Amino acid sequence: MDSWVRFSAQSQAKERVFRAAQYACTLLGYTLQKNGVSPEFLTRIKQLEAHMSLGRKLFRLGNSADALESAKRAIHLSDVVLRFCVTVSNLNRAMYFACDNILWAGKSGLVPHMDQEKWSQRSFRYYLFALIMNLSRDAYEIRLLMEREAGGKRPKSTETRHAHRADSGLQQLMLRLKVQLYLLGHVLRNNPPLLVDVVKNACDLFIPLDKLGLYKTNPGFVGLCGLTSSVLSILTIVHPWLKLKP
Amino acid sequence: MATAALLPVRAGTSPATESSGLSFPPVPPPPGGGAAVPGGWGLATLRPASRPSPGTVRQPAGPHPRSMEAFVNFTNQTRGRDRLFRATQYTCMLLSYLLERKTDKGMVIVKLKELESSMRFGRKLFRLGNMVHAMVAVRRTSQLPDLVLRLCLTASNFSRGLYFICDTVLWVKSVGLILDVDKQKWRNWATKCYYYSLLMNLARDVYEISWRMEKVAHKEENSSCCDEQDQDQICIDSEGLQPFLLLLYDTLRKNPPLLLDTMKNLCDLSSPLDRLGIYKTNPGVIGFCGLLSSLVGILTVASPQMKLKH
Repeated sequence: MDSWVRFSAQSQAKERVFRAAQYACTLLGYTLQKNGVSPEFLTRIKQLEAHMSLGRKLFRLGNSADALESAKRAIHLSDVVLRFCVTVSNLNRAMYFACDNILWAGKSGLVPHMDQEKWSQRSFRYYLFALIMNLSRDAYEIRLLMEREAGGKRPKSTETRHAHRADSGLQQLMLRLKVQLYLLGHVLRNNPPLLVDVVKNACDLFIPLDKLGLYKTNPGFVGLCGLTSSVLSILTIVHPWLKLKP
Repeated sequence: MATAALLPVRAGTSPATESSGLSFPPVPPPPGGGAAVPGGWGLATLRPASRPSPGTVRQPAGPHPRSMEAFVNFTNQTRGRDRLFRATQYTCMLLSYLLERKTDKGMVIVKLKELESSMRFGRKLFRLGNMVHAMVAVRRTSQLPDLVLRLCLTASNFSRGLYFICDTVLWVKSVGLILDVDKQKWRNWATKCYYYSLLMNLARDVYEISWRMEKVAHKEENSSCCDEQDQDQICIDSEGLQPFLLLLYDTLRKNPPLLLDTMKNLCDLSSPLDRLGIYKTNPGVIGFCGLLSSLVGILTVASPQMKLKH
């Protein structure tokens, strides 16, 4: 009970819980539709999802300032690649929130004659760019850690010795790939925050890809990805050491 | 009759300080941003010392403006954000009442009412888990050593918990998950619970004020306060209402958290009184009182030292 009080005292945490509920509704709605449930119940689920979405839009009203503050902080990072990725990601996030605010104004009836579709597309585009930058940053972190691991293990590694002896080019490629995958697995296993961030960003990526029509999936898959991402976000709030720094 | 005689005599420590160990746990700092945490997972721990880690933050040369940071920290708290939306909601109510008489402002009024209902709905959604907060508060306050404080705060938090339950039922109905709910009945129950909670809070404020006034009165009696040269001292030997009011003013002036809490609870009282038909007012008064109460709420979130501790 006390931990729930501490958790829900953070607005970001509460927002994540409602995001999880929203995507759970999306997933549930799709599953029930497949199983041929009554249209009335399906309407209720969709209505709940819409309510959650609009409520979250309202609750995200001040988040542009948060994203800009993060961008301002990221500018001072010493690593050039990290500085670029994190700053650009946060700026895109700020733009996404700004578009989201305009969209909220339209949906709540404050700006009645507004092209909601256009603003929705615009907001998802910024969200997509932010996620791409986040994934680029993750890839960079993984590459650095893999290099570090490979550098430390190269003299002892039996796999690389076998790879040099292999006659077939394809066999050599397969072995190299196997080594790389082993290294990747090792790096991610030893860095839970990085693993969580990669999975979260990868899951989130399917949402704007679907909405922008770049890679069409079904609402069930989008719901599952959104739910997974939200649960991981909640996990990083409950256990701050799981959050990737900076 | 002397003013000192009006005050209940009670020796001992202040009810506010008696229970200082029972304050709520601090809200953890908002996640995100900042430099890499030492000892945590990250590149800093896995890279040679010669090369700076990507997580290292270069400190900016000039002074860093803190206003945006303060806003971010404020909105990262659920209570902070809720208070902002509440202030907006009541501002809309007040403005729509003030503009009602102006015939050319019809469209503006419609938009203000839409914004108000949007804020009300959003706040209802984000209050969903708050019954747990109220129950945790009940558990805490039931251990307070002071009997009156224990009774007032436990009853207040319990009523608040019931109010949140009614509020949740109303939200479930408004979303359309449950259809067979008597909305008016549940709204009435919610308002009653909120009203009782406020009454208990006000009883607690009155108790705190009387205790502090008594303390001041005794202190001034002992140090023979009727010194004509001292302009700041309040003479309590004289009869009538004026010295009592002076003493009350002096007590509240020296205790801003108590003044703010009393003011907030009095302002909040206007809404349930109107809704229950006990004391009918207009949306303008309710809007103004709600806005004032929300601003006090914002102040207590932004400056925690302004919050009355139990």
